[in-house]
Amino acid sequence: MTQYFIRRLLLIVPTFIGITILVFVITRFVPGGPIERMIAEAQQASMQSGGMTQSSGNGIGAATLDQDQIKQLEEYYGFDKPVLVSYWDWLVKVVHFDLGVSTRYSDPVWDTIKERLPISAFYGILTMLITYFISIPLGYMKAVRHNSHFDHVSSIVVFIGYAIPSYVVGIILLVVFASNLEWFPMGGFYGDEFEDMDSKLEQVADVFYHAALPLLAYVAGSFAVMTFMMKNSLMDNLAADYVRTAIAKGIPFKKAITRHAMRNSLIPIATHFGNNISVIIGGSFLIEKIFNIDGLGLLGYESIVERDYPIVLGVLVISAILQLFGNILSDICVAAVDPRVQFR
Amino acid sequence: MSLFQLNPLTVKKINRFKSIRRGYYSFIIFVILVLLSCFAEVLVNSRALLVSYEGSLYFPTYGAIIPGKTLGLDYEYETNYRDLQKILKEKGNGFVVMPPIPFDPYENDLRDGEFPPFAPSFEEGHYLGTDTIARDVAARLVYGFRTAIFFSLILLVVSYLIGVSIGAAMGYFGGLFDLLFQRIIEIWSNIPFLYVIMIISSIMIPNFFTLIAIVLLFGWIQMTWYMRTVTYKEKAREYVMAARALGASNARVIFNHILPNTVSIIITFIPFSVASGIIALTSLDYLGFGLPAPTPSWGELLSQGSNNLESIWIVSSVIVAMTIILVMVTFIGEAIREAFDPKKHTTYE
Repeated sequence: MTQYFIRRLLLIVPTFIGITILVFVITRFVPGGPIERMIAEAQQASMQSGGMTQSSGNGIGAATLDQDQIKQLEEYYGFDKPVLVSYWDWLVKVVHFDLGVSTRYSDPVWDTIKERLPISAFYGILTMLITYFISIPLGYMKAVRHNSHFDHVSSIVVFIGYAIPSYVVGIILLVVFASNLEWFPMGGFYGDEFEDMDSKLEQVADVFYHAALPLLAYVAGSFAVMTFMMKNSLMDNLAADYVRTAIAKGIPFKKAITRHAMRNSLIPIATHFGNNISVIIGGSFLIEKIFNIDGLGLLGYESIVERDYPIVLGVLVISAILQLFGNILSDICVAAVDPRVQFR
Repeated sequence: MSLFQLNPLTVKKINRFKSIRRGYYSFIIFVILVLLSCFAEVLVNSRALLVSYEGSLYFPTYGAIIPGKTLGLDYEYETNYRDLQKILKEKGNGFVVMPPIPFDPYENDLRDGEFPPFAPSFEEGHYLGTDTIARDVAARLVYGFRTAIFFSLILLVVSYLIGVSIGAAMGYFGGLFDLLFQRIIEIWSNIPFLYVIMIISSIMIPNFFTLIAIVLLFGWIQMTWYMRTVTYKEKAREYVMAARALGASNARVIFNHILPNTVSIIITFIPFSVASGIIALTSLDYLGFGLPAPTPSWGELLSQGSNNLESIWIVSSVIVAMTIILVMVTFIGEAIREAFDPKKHTTYE
């Protein structure tokens, strides 16, 4: 078992290198990288200022950024070296927690990510808690009252949550509750008056006021699968011989569930734990964009649009690491709750 | 081939599927919708279905452009059939039969003195209104559905072909081949794939088939992994041992014995793959990393709609369409799973 986890931990290294080298190479061989961007921006600037003062429209670009400056820029971004050499340089820096400098903001990438990470984590952790909080009792009730009126009605909600992707739910919520009814704000992590608020309590309330719709969208995306899983596994266990034996021996039905069936039914839920981490990272691009939340997802999305490759790679590094550890964590959870599981 | 002969067991499964009403009806409606979308040009088009002009009949839907001169108008470019309809009605020397939605998904139906998006109106023929550059929403919905469904179906076929062949080989032969692919899959499945797809397609601006290839890069894993497990289990069963004892070759065991026994499980996956293909394309289009600009797509409509919430008809029509299709596909999936892999539970009173 220990051997298995050590191997898994060691496998993080080649996986990480594989992912990053793939993206690194891609970002290198593309037109429209940071240098071309800078040249274009300089051109625009000279067009605007130059057009006002003098009428010499020709020779733009060269006039603002000469060959030496371009060379300097290339050196600065490491574009003057072969791909693998600059990849190695980059990797050495990453190991030292230096992710480079954003080409758009000129801030260190790591600082930018550190700023955004808590916001995504806030949503991620809350989503996970709420999902467990809804799914486990709901799945339990649906299993116990299988085929009842309650089961059928709740199935509709679960079913819609299952069929429709979470970001579409987010858009629906935005249309209904923010745009039409105006009950909730259109987006953002907190309101404009956040800095001026008197008490911490008011600030917390404001954050949750803004978080209500995105959280609902996140939860809608994850609670359905979890509820189904809880219900099915509990029903499998209820049908198992050991529960029948327990009931036959005279244990009250309730106790048979809580003491026997429930424990084993939670195993698949534990397996799902690590998947959640990746779902939250993956899903956040869409939901953070819809609700304009300044989290890791929106940062990654914007950096791709703006071709800010240091940030693109930075976000990739962070989300890859989170996902890698998430998967291992999920395996550890499974091994912890189910002694029968043998990893080899 | 035994794969396509309906044995009594399969007939039983199909009958069980038919008995699950909502799944069966969803299936019928869905198939009809897909078939209709193949002939979308007849239903949604700016070209007329039939023009009768001075005694001769024209069928402009498929085929070459008919210049305005031919139909008595004073220009050489393609006839505007909606105008022609009005003109011929006044003159009375012919008639035009337009499709139910008389707009092309690419054309801008601009008006003087007004700015799009235009609200839905029956008089103008824009039943679901227009988008921000005056293209008909209904037309774009229909063609967007066609793009999404064929994207998803092609993705499904190719990823299943890859998944089934690699997975079956992994499970059946085992050994070094299995180990190698296990490691590859372990690494591959840890990539935050949506993000990497976004990066790749931001760089190469994909078309329909390259986008399928990009999504396929990450889409083959699930089926491969599943197929590996199933084949591994089937291989250990007695009928395989019996076949091998009789001297059947590897190919024969795989194609004649193992594969037919896994088909029913593969089928239960299909509806869910269709749904996830549609969702993948729509998400990518929504983010702007899907098919390039003028292509009609649901994701593009969604993003337009959510950026113009005051023009509620854009976002609501695409959400309604998407919900209906996805719910139907999930109904089908649920029914197929129920029919092919029924679970009977003991319940307590």
